[in-house]
Amino acid sequence: MSVVLVGISHRTSPVEIRERLAYADAAIPDALRCLRAARLADEAVIVSTCNRVEVYGGVNDDPGAALDRLRQFLIESRGIDPSLSAGLYGLSEPQSLEHLFRVVAGLESMVLGETEVLGQVKRAYDLALRHHHTGRQLNRAFQRAFNVAKQIRTETRIQRGNISVASVAVDLAERIFSSLSERSVLVIGAGDTSEKTARALLSRGAREVMVTNRSHDRALALASALGGRALPFTDWSAAFPDVDIIVSSTSAPHCILDRARLSPLLDRRDRSPLLLIDIAVPRDIDPDVLLLEDVYLYNIDDLQSIAAEALRLRQEELGRCEAIIREKVQTLTSPSKPAQDTGHELAFGSNA
Amino acid sequence: MSNLSDREFFALAVLLYGVCSIYSIFLWRNGFRRDNRIVYLFLLAGAGLHTIAMAKRGFSFARCPVTNLYEATAFTAWAIVALYLGLGLIRRLRFLGAFASPLLFGLGVFALMPKLDIHGPQPQFTHGLSSLHASLTLLAYGAFGLGAVAALMYLLQARDLKLRKIRAIHAHLPPIERLEHVAAWLLACGLLLLSTGLLLGIAWLKREKGVYLQADPKILWSGFVWCLYFGLLILRGWYGQGGRRFAWGTVVCFGFVLMTFWGFNLLSDIHNP
Repeated sequence: MSVVLVGISHRTSPVEIRERLAYADAAIPDALRCLRAARLADEAVIVSTCNRVEVYGGVNDDPGAALDRLRQFLIESRGIDPSLSAGLYGLSEPQSLEHLFRVVAGLESMVLGETEVLGQVKRAYDLALRHHHTGRQLNRAFQRAFNVAKQIRTETRIQRGNISVASVAVDLAERIFSSLSERSVLVIGAGDTSEKTARALLSRGAREVMVTNRSHDRALALASALGGRALPFTDWSAAFPDVDIIVSSTSAPHCILDRARLSPLLDRRDRSPLLLIDIAVPRDIDPDVLLLEDVYLYNIDDLQSIAAEALRLRQEELGRCEAIIREKVQTLTSPSKPAQDTGHELAFGSNA
Repeated sequence: MSNLSDREFFALAVLLYGVCSIYSIFLWRNGFRRDNRIVYLFLLAGAGLHTIAMAKRGFSFARCPVTNLYEATAFTAWAIVALYLGLGLIRRLRFLGAFASPLLFGLGVFALMPKLDIHGPQPQFTHGLSSLHASLTLLAYGAFGLGAVAALMYLLQARDLKLRKIRAIHAHLPPIERLEHVAAWLLACGLLLLSTGLLLGIAWLKREKGVYLQADPKILWSGFVWCLYFGLLILRGWYGQGGRRFAWGTVVCFGFVLMTFWGFNLLSDIHNP
């Protein structure tokens, strides 16, 4: 008996195709039941996330034939034109196990090393387990995959650093302030990135968020979405003494905050640090403010270069992660089938 | 191992502090990304040997071993490492050890200079009150020393953040706000210990010489040091002079203590009979 998989991912297909193959959580138990009732596989798990749809099967017969059956099932059950299935890939042991381990460890994710996929795969496996669609083979494979993900997380630095602008901003705040729970955030300009940054700061415990924007309606809308309060654009400096972090992303053609304006505002605060995140282009905050005591300024280039460095560090760790995965796949496959297991890799269209 | 003398145990401890200093250089070059447990373990081992050295000497004449310059220096270093081991239980503060180890090594090498321990394990001050005075003031300097280490870390981290160095994000150093709090807390503890130590010194002086104060260089120096640290804490607490200024003040004050302590000690008839 071996583990096979057929699937599609962000690496092989655009979202227009992935969304047509995706399963809603509620539809998965039925799909699994159909798949097993039709004897396409003896065991099955369906993983359906925004970046991938994968059907894992435990089969007793020829893996090549099983892969064809699963591919056909996926196309027919989702009702897509076979011509759109070029991005489907099929793998059998040991590549299928290696792929599963890579997925769970975040090595196949769009954001290298991210952990969200681990939870998604755990939920998919749990769903199949609860509906009795897994057996010895898939239970072993998935449980080993979760262990490998944990090992990779603890033994390598694949999850070190943040690789999105919003997360880097939060990291910076945590390098300056002991705790974010007593910190207030002022968002100047109701842009998408500033919203994400404010949300990230709130998710790490920031106490309060205030939003100001040239259009007060947009400020109100964003403040309401963030659970904060809106301030008039002409009078945001009144709130300045209480602010610890400013996220600025207006479309103003010139600086809205410079040393001459900031200096008297700082005198109204105690001497706690002030973090300025300027994600606007052209910049909202004059770099000269860095000359002021206890003021830390980061612009979009700074944040992106930090994110790029974190990504580089994660990529450096790839080799170590892959070595762990290879070793674990070998221990999982070698006791039962040491020699004959050469594996099938079927690229129905393009490869995984 | 048990045949070693207290000075040999101390020398082994200093050797470990030196090894830890070298390892700290690698950590620094690596941007403080590696695990900091090794620093903690080095200093824990060093502190163990250091404690044995002090205990051996202390038991040899049944008194706290703070009777000459060697012992005073060793005691200050011991206070620093003991305080660090306590603070190092908090994971993010463990890198204090990387900054403290060169200071410990420097103090250790200085203490091992032969002329500082010319009398060997013989008490030069025998009164219990004077021993307590010496112990508390040296513990205070230990706290000031570790405070200076935290302040130095603050300055390094604040500089990296100001200059937007990637190391500021990827280093396993604590946030600058916490470093400032730790430095201020250590200074406050140090000042309390110093105040108590000086009051005991005054009581000893009254008992031995019949006066509360004397125009002795070390006494004047101690009063000046007390004013320095008191001023630093007042400026931070009441006048908002925290952050970089406070950190620089802490480092400079301890630098002053380090460079002048032994000189004033030698000038003092009371402390250097």
